[in-house]
Amino acid sequence: MQIIATFLVTATVLLWLVCSATMAALAFFGKKINHLVPSTVLFAGGLTMLLAAMFGWQINYLWDAPWPIYLAVAPLSSHLDALSSIFIGLLAVVVISVSLFSPGYLEHLSHKINNGCYWVELFLFIIGMLGLILAANAVTFLVFWELIALSSVLLVVSDLSNRQARVAAFIYLGATRIATGFLMAGFLWMHSLCQSWSFSDWHFDQHATLIPAVLIVIGLCIKAGIWPFHDWLPYAHPAAPAPVSALMSGVMIKVSLYALIRLLVMGGLVSPWVSYMMLAMGLISLFWGILWALVQKDLKSLLAYCSIENAGLILVCISLAIICHGINMPEIGALFLAAAIFHCVNHGLFKSLLFLGAGAIDCRAHTRDLELLGGLAGKLPWTMFFFVIGSAAICSLPPLNGFSSKWLIYQSLFMLANKFHSIWLSGLSMSCIAILGLVSGMSLYCFTKAIGIGFLGRPRSHAAEHATEVTLPMLAAQLLLALCCVALGISAPDWMAVMQPACTAAFSNAPVLSNVYTIPMALFAFLIAGTSAIIYVLWLSDQTNNVKKYVTWECGFGDLTKRMQATATGFAENVTYTFSPLFLYSARSKIAGRDRRHFPEDVTLQVSTTPVLASRIYMPIVRVVNWLGERMLLLQAGSIHLYLCYILLTLVALMVIGVLI
Amino acid sequence: MMAVGVYVLFFACVLLLPPCVIGVIRKGKALMQGRVGAPLSQPFFDLFKLLGKDQTVSQTTTWIFRSSCAMNLATTLIIAGIVPWLSFKPIFPGDDLFLLLYLLALCRFMTILSALDSGSPFGAFAASREAFLSMLVEPAMFISLGALALIAHSTSLHVVFDLSLPCSTYDVPVWLAAAAALFLGSIVDLSRMPIDDPTTHLELTMVHEAMIIENSGKNLALVEFTHFLRMAVVYGLISQCMMHAVGRLVEFNQLTAAIVSVVSILGMAVLTVWIESVFVKLRWRSTPEFIAYAMTMSFFATGGALIGDMYARHGL
Repeated sequence: MQIIATFLVTATVLLWLVCSATMAALAFFGKKINHLVPSTVLFAGGLTMLLAAMFGWQINYLWDAPWPIYLAVAPLSSHLDALSSIFIGLLAVVVISVSLFSPGYLEHLSHKINNGCYWVELFLFIIGMLGLILAANAVTFLVFWELIALSSVLLVVSDLSNRQARVAAFIYLGATRIATGFLMAGFLWMHSLCQSWSFSDWHFDQHATLIPAVLIVIGLCIKAGIWPFHDWLPYAHPAAPAPVSALMSGVMIKVSLYALIRLLVMGGLVSPWVSYMMLAMGLISLFWGILWALVQKDLKSLLAYCSIENAGLILVCISLAIICHGINMPEIGALFLAAAIFHCVNHGLFKSLLFLGAGAIDCRAHTRDLELLGGLAGKLPWTMFFFVIGSAAICSLPPLNGFSSKWLIYQSLFMLANKFHSIWLSGLSMSCIAILGLVSGMSLYCFTKAIGIGFLGRPRSHAAEHATEVTLPMLAAQLLLALCCVALGISAPDWMAVMQPACTAAFSNAPVLSNVYTIPMALFAFLIAGTSAIIYVLWLSDQTNNVKKYVTWECGFGDLTKRMQATATGFAENVTYTFSPLFLYSARSKIAGRDRRHFPEDVTLQVSTTPVLASRIYMPIVRVVNWLGERMLLLQAGSIHLYLCYILLTLVALMVIGVLI
Repeated sequence: MMAVGVYVLFFACVLLLPPCVIGVIRKGKALMQGRVGAPLSQPFFDLFKLLGKDQTVSQTTTWIFRSSCAMNLATTLIIAGIVPWLSFKPIFPGDDLFLLLYLLALCRFMTILSALDSGSPFGAFAASREAFLSMLVEPAMFISLGALALIAHSTSLHVVFDLSLPCSTYDVPVWLAAAAALFLGSIVDLSRMPIDDPTTHLELTMVHEAMIIENSGKNLALVEFTHFLRMAVVYGLISQCMMHAVGRLVEFNQLTAAIVSVVSILGMAVLTVWIESVFVKLRWRSTPEFIAYAMTMSFFATGGALIGDMYARHGL
């Protein structure tokens, strides 16, 4: 078993490396690249990776690379067990659908991006994520962490002619540098405490590990897009090509959260300070992410902000697992951990699905601006169907997979409250339930907006009017993910059993998870579908009833125009108005004309929202850094005499310090 | 035989009670306004009339508009099956509290989408309002039911609303506060006054009625019946809370509990009549304040459940 799994993983990586080297060579010599070859290789690799995950789930295997492969201070070391296998499985499914989706999608970008570079970077990006999931020591982890960071920056800026993408890549690159900085500091600190690079030797249960734990949490949270470090995410995710956004949002964020689970939960963190800090950050990102998602006009920005919400939700689960561990309630901690892992997988699936749907729209209607879309239901019927499934899943509506993990989260929160450990903890978890309720109401608002404005009604632009359905492989990619969403929803108890070994590894007396999930979801799904089908056939369908087709009700004034529909901004106005201080919302309207009251000739309305953190906190910091940088220029006058003087001064200073110490 | 009788009664209630509730509300409002009003059975006639008519469908609409009313009716029937709104034992297993809330959300999701489907500005206005209102009222619904689950130590609805379970004095305020929160929430959820006026003639100001402005004929009949059923179930849930609150004074057996449930659902309708006749519709911008009251009551319920447990454990 171990040999098969290791072989499969190694073979996949080697296959991809060979393929990306070939692609690089072809791109270097300026040869034209046929998408079929790399996407087939990616597809095959995805399948072998899925197999590896199936085998790896049953084992717990630590593997060091043979002698010549050595990373300076530690071996290239990987760890395949139940937890990493679940994430490899998620990566494999998303990779398979990306491999199906990419060729068709790249068609409309072919004159803008270098296809060879795209494939090389994509392969490296996926290898990076695979390596990060498998990494068993800090050095291996950092190598793959950097591989992910750099390759994804290059992918974000695939289309170099797009200024927005360049800005996004710049901001993203900055964020990854800061993240790596924090992470390295934390890792070095832990190494000096534990005298080992291996994650299995790191235990976060002493007081001395508090600061490195905080550093690692911050480093990982930056990459996961947790508030207040989320600002790069709404830039980078929309700017990347859709398959890459799917991977970044669906898997890359999850990989950071996986690292949190692997290091802190498995490492036995008990410090309440760190866990309550994580809980607060998670709760704020939960609310903040969906609040901003609601007011977005760009479909992909909307999805990106929504990823912040879900990352926050997973962080809440992880932190509560740690809190439960700290107060000696491992059975509830295990439930929270299972909920976190399950939601990682579910969110990875439906968010990738939604990003692929947004990509399909982008490639056919040539815009992602909701104000210009609409009426796509007739043009891209299947894409819309899958998008509705993805949206229903992300709003955690039964019987889809979003509901099963959300239900597990609610159930764990309720069980924690019901333990009455202390009145504060019970109150806290009830408040979490209330916040989650608010947030799920908000995501319902957000995604009815995305579907209702994006797909329904009438086309708002010429491009949307002439869109056509995407190619079959692109639909197959979405179908695969949609099927996964349904399957994980209606057979949730079986998937609970999949998470059992991972939870048992973290919490020795974890309950039997498949007994926790008591809802016969398949029965409900069958009943809802069956009953609605009967009602539909009896009273609604064209075949059994007379149905008259007529125009939408227009008060008898003649046909409605495409401009007489709700806009994305207008639809979300209730929220923008109610939470206007958080948005720095401003609206300026002008109604003018001779008979201003009844027949205004000039009507304009300008609304704007400003990201409050970026404008009030980050931009001032950036400005101070820039200002300091300009002052520092005075030191670098370019004169050799001055530099010699600096050297002399430094030597003198060092000698003085040496004498004093 | 007994079991069959119970099921027959249950289905009779599902079919007959919802139109009766709306009939009582309409008749009561007419009487309060000094009119004679339509007979109590008018909603039945209306439904039958609509079921006999053909539908007119906008050309812009898609499968969402065509199928959403069927899906909503199916989902609401399931909700009626898992919620012990008549104090009967529910039909389906897995009657979980959070499942109930998300099934309600599923209905809302489809309703909002079908309102947006025709591209009508009326539908979109109303859909936006409905989404906003339900978003605000969601936390109150979650934790008022959560508080009840806390005192029953289970999220299973038939355990939470089991009248035969012992009820301590500490629980009475929780039941009352939860009933109040649910009632205030139900006004929002069911689009009644003072949040939404279902009888006004101006579509621009309405929520529920404007969302279904494009529905006609059989489609409208199904939508209307779904709404009536949802109303009956939610009122039933509130009546169950009230019955638990007086449960320490009055002993219910199965039969009296069922009869009292039906009567108190109609009582809730009378309460609605009073509210709708006495209060004016709120301005749209002040609806969040109204929902804040529901929120406060649900916080009282949760706090009561937590403090009550503390006292029950450690004594006063």
